[in-house]
Amino acid sequence: MLQTTKYFLILLCLWTGNKAFSQCCTSGNPFISDAEQPALQSKILMVSLNYRYSHSGKYYSEDSRFTKLPFQEVANSNYTELQVGYGITNWLTALTDLGYFFNKTLETPGIDSYKGNGFGDLGLYAKFNAYSNSRLRLTISPTIGVKFPVGVFDQEVENVQLPISVQPSAGSYRYLANLFISKGFGKVTLAGFASYEYSQFIESENFYYKYGDLWIAALYFNYSPWKRFTINLQIRDEYRTKSTRENNEMIESSSYNVAFFTPQVTYAFKHNWYLSAYGDIPLYKYYNGIQLSFGYAVSLRITKKIDLIALMARKRSSDLGGSENM
Amino acid sequence: MVVLTGLALLSACSKKDNSEPSSQIRIDSITASENPVMAYDTSMITVYATGENLQYKWVANHGKIKGSGTTVKYSACQSCQGLNTITCKVFNETGEVSDTIMVRVTSWHSKK
Repeated sequence: MLQTTKYFLILLCLWTGNKAFSQCCTSGNPFISDAEQPALQSKILMVSLNYRYSHSGKYYSEDSRFTKLPFQEVANSNYTELQVGYGITNWLTALTDLGYFFNKTLETPGIDSYKGNGFGDLGLYAKFNAYSNSRLRLTISPTIGVKFPVGVFDQEVENVQLPISVQPSAGSYRYLANLFISKGFGKVTLAGFASYEYSQFIESENFYYKYGDLWIAALYFNYSPWKRFTINLQIRDEYRTKSTRENNEMIESSSYNVAFFTPQVTYAFKHNWYLSAYGDIPLYKYYNGIQLSFGYAVSLRITKKIDLIALMARKRSSDLGGSENM
Repeated sequence: MVVLTGLALLSACSKKDNSEPSSQIRIDSITASENPVMAYDTSMITVYATGENLQYKWVANHGKIKGSGTTVKYSACQSCQGLNTITCKVFNETGEVSDTIMVRVTSWHSKK
């Protein structure tokens, strides 16, 4: 089993290193497909920093590559996101995230280049520990949240406004609800995730636009071959309905359905530090009309969890030790 | 968390352009070399204006603009089909004036 796992890991690393895919130039902060979804325990503080590179360069029409355009277009982004979560009680976790694009670029090599950068959106979420049974190793965690368009929108370069696709912020409020269910079996954990996101109309001086609703469903297979090492395999489907423009006109070339395979490896260091690496690989893509399709993405995530109760207990005991010594 | 929430609430206030209208600038016309224009093709948009030390700012509600000054290049992808508005603001130290041109973007089709 150990030998098989080793070969599987090597293949996994080669695969993610060379052929990891994901979305590019979508609205606002990209979806971070990390598998760590359950609510936090009371007085646990979690801080994580994500880095994500994504690249895209192929047009699709329906489920096939579209090659009839007389030019090539390439999109890429370098994105980082700070996430902070805090277990207010055992049943309620507050979460926030703030994204920053170092660049969000769309270019026709040698001809045109559009590059936006700056803060993306700010998310605020409440995650509930609706059901948790440590004996059955079963947890159910629903979440509700809002993404605020605090970042850069209507960005200009040399007095020319950049297109929506490279604006760092989505430019509109987005409301989401999701549900995460996980069940442990020995060294394996199986989990399911379902999410719905609704976007408001962009209320900008220059844009009148509404992104389509976004539905995400994911299945996770989590396996710990060694004490500090975890492999997570995720199958995820993202479906976005058509966007809307002026006069409630539906935009045909805006809806899509993409199924991803997302392998992830996580190593737990001492003192509750975690390092994860993962990539998004489209297994199936369907685009209405003609659209630049999702390419590849690789992500790195570093996480620190702080148990404030244990921290305070250690501080108290050291204070007591100090006073006893006096 | 409080700071972040404050930031979020501040974002609700959209940016306003405080430039004053100027009587010393006049936009005579805005023209498009191609109108309608097919998706993924380009159209050159030119503004004709009179005034001193003029500068130009361009915005498209759908599609992409490249260039600067009196003539810019407009292009749009398949998702920008429809009647789109390109706005040109012409400004100098006396204020600004703006005008628009509507450009229809049609569905892409092979030119063969």
